[in-house]
Amino acid sequence: MKTTEKTTARAEGTVPVAAPPEPAPAPAAAEAKGKSGPASQAEPAIRVTGLRKVYGEVQAVKGIDLTIAPGEVVALLGPNGAGKSTTIDMILGLSHPTSGEISIFGRAPYLAVREGLVSAVLQEGSLIDDISVRETLEMISSLYKKPLPLDEVLRRANIEDIVDRRGTKLSGGQRQRARFACALIGNPQLLVLDEPTSAMDVGSRRKFWESMRKFTDTGRTVVFATHYLDEAEEFADRVVLMRGGEIAADGTVAKIRALTAGRVLRASVPDAKEADLRALPGVTAAALRLGRVELHCEDSDKSLRALLTTYPDAYDIEISASGLEEAFLSLTAADETDVQEDAA
Amino acid sequence: MTGYLSIEIKRMLRGPRFIIFAIVLPVGLYLMECMLYKNQVIPHSNGITYSAWLMCSLAAYSAFTSSMHTSARVAHERSIGWHRQLRLTPLLPRNYLLSKIVVSMIVALPGPLFVALAGATLQDVHLSVAGWLQITLGIWIAALPCAVLGLVIGLYVAVEQQQMYLQGLVLLFGFLGGLLLPTTGFPGWLTAVVKTLPSYWLADIGHGALLHGTRTLVAALVLAGWTVVLSGAVILNSRREAARA
Repeated sequence: MKTTEKTTARAEGTVPVAAPPEPAPAPAAAEAKGKSGPASQAEPAIRVTGLRKVYGEVQAVKGIDLTIAPGEVVALLGPNGAGKSTTIDMILGLSHPTSGEISIFGRAPYLAVREGLVSAVLQEGSLIDDISVRETLEMISSLYKKPLPLDEVLRRANIEDIVDRRGTKLSGGQRQRARFACALIGNPQLLVLDEPTSAMDVGSRRKFWESMRKFTDTGRTVVFATHYLDEAEEFADRVVLMRGGEIAADGTVAKIRALTAGRVLRASVPDAKEADLRALPGVTAAALRLGRVELHCEDSDKSLRALLTTYPDAYDIEISASGLEEAFLSLTAADETDVQEDAA
Repeated sequence: MTGYLSIEIKRMLRGPRFIIFAIVLPVGLYLMECMLYKNQVIPHSNGITYSAWLMCSLAAYSAFTSSMHTSARVAHERSIGWHRQLRLTPLLPRNYLLSKIVVSMIVALPGPLFVALAGATLQDVHLSVAGWLQITLGIWIAALPCAVLGLVIGLYVAVEQQQMYLQGLVLLFGFLGGLLLPTTGFPGWLTAVVKTLPSYWLADIGHGALLHGTRTLVAALVLAGWTVVLSGAVILNSRREAARA
């Protein structure tokens, strides 16, 4: 029943931090701006306002606002069906929003794609089987005005060893790295990755992220969708948590970690107010449901003392560690639970 | 566009498929049928030999079938997501589609050329210069709507059903259009129907080289009509894809 409380609490909107995005990390962003020319200087890499996508009766994306500055490395974290891929498709101009605006460096998505400002590695999709990786890359390279030299791309994507193989002769991880190379060759300012490592084994994942890091070190903007927490933690400056087609939380990795890595204090507190609870020392987020309080604490000892001072009649107190995993699950749990609990 | 087109051409030429389907098969079929008829003259035909008539039929038939070869590739590329991958590059969708048509047309050219060559050298068929041009270049240009038709099948039909649709159409259009059998025995209403088919006029252009009575204007109009309508279907698909729900 604890999970029930957790989800219902969150349903009231207390845990999510709809924090405005942090300004981009200074050095990387500055470098990116210097390199990318006038287009990206004033404009955010991605600006999404009121984005919605409805498939028949299903609302895949229910109104998203998101601004990503040049140079940011952002993880779009969420379980399957959270709306990550749908959002990414719209950002890339692969599908049209039902409503809302998207601009990539101030341009419509399809123009940004055409100008080579943005490119992507999608979850599905493969290379043509009857030509080699090199031929594929050369062809894609010919489509861009200012492509990167092939050698550089091969090195960066870690595929020097497989470049003369045909599509059929590649393992899942190799194929994904080859597709990463396809995305790199146009020298994009913004790279979007939709669960790039889902088909990879551990070794391939490590290799892939190694080459990703080389790319982000050059000050480019990267947005990647993932359901691996460790990937989000390790590679992103900022984490956007998605749940049920909405943004459930948005903040720096440190912030999300603070939100999730502390302890959870649960207690029954008569007459408590959410805002007061959140103001207690050491509390990062608070939820209240039918007199039952759930506090996410970075310092649970301090919070507990304060709680008991303010609300001496608090009872049924329990404190538990909340791993990132647990927090992630609670933050991104499916909507159905909410509906049921609210009805009950 | 040239970069994309050249890789498409390279892919097409690679492997034995192209040579087998675009050259060996139509020429082989032609020579085999000639053997059956032993260079006889067709009755009541003012001295037209079977080998001349079959040459025209098969030149048209080979252009017809090989021009639709793109459909399999387009359907396959759609199913593996290559389409989406390309939409993330500056390649314009219309250039992708145009490349496919250009490749189809390249595949459609050797069939009529080699069948004509076989007719001239091995079967002793004689035509005027205009006649030769008609059964090679004429047929080739007339195959354009069929190339677009191949593209339409590839775009609209799921990869699992693509072969079924393609073979069905080849057979239907081939038979009804008079590419495989003469249409002279058809009842009046059916003749009227088949005269709307592109394959009928493709065959007509081929046989016209012998009969000196090609209805060039009507043929051009019907074929252009098909090209326009089918191109409309391609554009519609492209729009729908762009606005994909």
